[in-house]
Amino acid sequence: MTALLDINGLTRRFGGLVAVNGVSFTVARGEVVGLLGPNGSGKTTVLNMISGSLKPSGGDIRFNSEKVSGWPAHRIARKGIARTFQLVRILPSLSVAENIAAALAFRRVPLWGAEADAAARELLARVGLGGRGDESAENLTYIDQKRMELARALAADPQLLLLDEWLAGLNPTELRVGIDLIASLRERGITIVLVEHVMEAVRALCGRCIVMTAGSKIADGATADVLRDPDVIRAYLGASHA
Amino acid sequence: MKPIAIAAGLIAALAAAPMFLDSYGLGLMMGLAGYVTLATAWALFSGPTGYVSLATVAFVGIGAYCVAALSEVLPYPLLLLIAAGIGLAVALVVGLSTLRLSGVYFVIFTFGLAELIRQLVTFYEINVTGTLGRYIFLGITPAQIYWQLLALGVVTMLLRWWIGRSRIGLALKVIGDDEVVASHVGIDIARTKLALFAISAVIMTLVGAIQAPRWTYVEPAIVFNPTVSFLTLIMALLGGATRLWGPLLGAVPLFLLFEWLSANFPNHYSILLGLLFILIVFALPKGVLSFVEQMWGKARRTDDGGARS
Repeated sequence: MTALLDINGLTRRFGGLVAVNGVSFTVARGEVVGLLGPNGSGKTTVLNMISGSLKPSGGDIRFNSEKVSGWPAHRIARKGIARTFQLVRILPSLSVAENIAAALAFRRVPLWGAEADAAARELLARVGLGGRGDESAENLTYIDQKRMELARALAADPQLLLLDEWLAGLNPTELRVGIDLIASLRERGITIVLVEHVMEAVRALCGRCIVMTAGSKIADGATADVLRDPDVIRAYLGASHA
Repeated sequence: MKPIAIAAGLIAALAAAPMFLDSYGLGLMMGLAGYVTLATAWALFSGPTGYVSLATVAFVGIGAYCVAALSEVLPYPLLLLIAAGIGLAVALVVGLSTLRLSGVYFVIFTFGLAELIRQLVTFYEINVTGTLGRYIFLGITPAQIYWQLLALGVVTMLLRWWIGRSRIGLALKVIGDDEVVASHVGIDIARTKLALFAISAVIMTLVGAIQAPRWTYVEPAIVFNPTVSFLTLIMALLGGATRLWGPLLGAVPLFLLFEWLSANFPNHYSILLGLLFILIVFALPKGVLSFVEQMWGKARRTDDGGARS
């Protein structure tokens, strides 16, 4: 079976800085993969290249065996890759339901009108925002904005979902709810790559983890093994802990 | 059914206006219809995207000049078609090269574009045709011009209403809110913006082409006068560029005010215009309509409070 996502020698330079340096990995269909590493190690840059916000300086990205690196973001989105953002991004002048409709209307098989309304209601119910479609997106609390952003990503009917620190900034109760929510997506067979610092979530959700430091991949394997890896511990905590 | 009947009645009344007006009144109505159409066309693109364009007069001028240059060799309906075609072509070229610019750069570019086209036309006229101005002798009455502008205005409003309810309308709102999100939900930002910019530009070109016979004499300094761009902008902003009726509600009072100012204070007209511009942007940044809604909402809330206590 070929991988859903196949990344080979991915590189991104910003001027003289090499933010991502020859990173290669694959993600199989149905996997939930954690992308870990200290701040500034290039995780978000990798996500940005997969979703098309940034063009790679080198290497390539294949999605369903098709080379998508270098494509504009909207084409990649229509192929079935959806994402959330490190700093939550809502459409403030639209209602909650319209935020979802925006993703339904422009996906590969678009939904519009009554069908879209029904789909939006269902998605909002799934993330715990049932019955709140008419509220202004701007007035939602932080956690609810995150829920809405997730519903919007799901509305694109993605094969691959990229979550950039979706659980960051949540209190312990919200975190439990958030982890359960992502776990429910995994059960529906959505492939997920998530950048995350919350280790509790990584352990609960990710079957596999990839660790980056300073733009390079240093570990890739089953979560429990990777988190015991001396190289990984050194990267996170410094040499004295290894 | 009712609003449609009201709208139809209103349009019929407006269409009948030339029979009851003297030539000054008809002139006013023509100017009004022209500016309402321009402001609505401007808001069609700039309202949802937030791209402030000062290219209005570039397209109006192109329309007027097409008619002036070709009126002696081609029949009138064909002139309009050609003007619209040229307006479309310019809009596509300009759009492709500039819609990637954002914010203030786009404003400056569009302002420069109008000046550039004016200078090009001036250069061509002086060096190639050896004239500066052109006369337009077309057997089109003021009432006919007015009716055409009215029809174009109605079509523009309908188009804007339709777009507001369509997928492309939603795409524009999403782009206006956050382009990053727009591209990640699958919206082709460049194409959406280009399409709307082009539609808006074609309407502006037609306004210029239709009004040209009224001026009899045109020269670049007249038809490419940047004040037209500023007036259109300020009208749309006053009414509220994101609302369907906003540009109309902004254009009517402002046009009448400008007429009155230019008749009574011809020497201080520009100063007063500038002050008014500043006042509108400071006092009503979201337009009259949203201001009224806010006040209305506030009044209702205090009413509720009174009822409870």
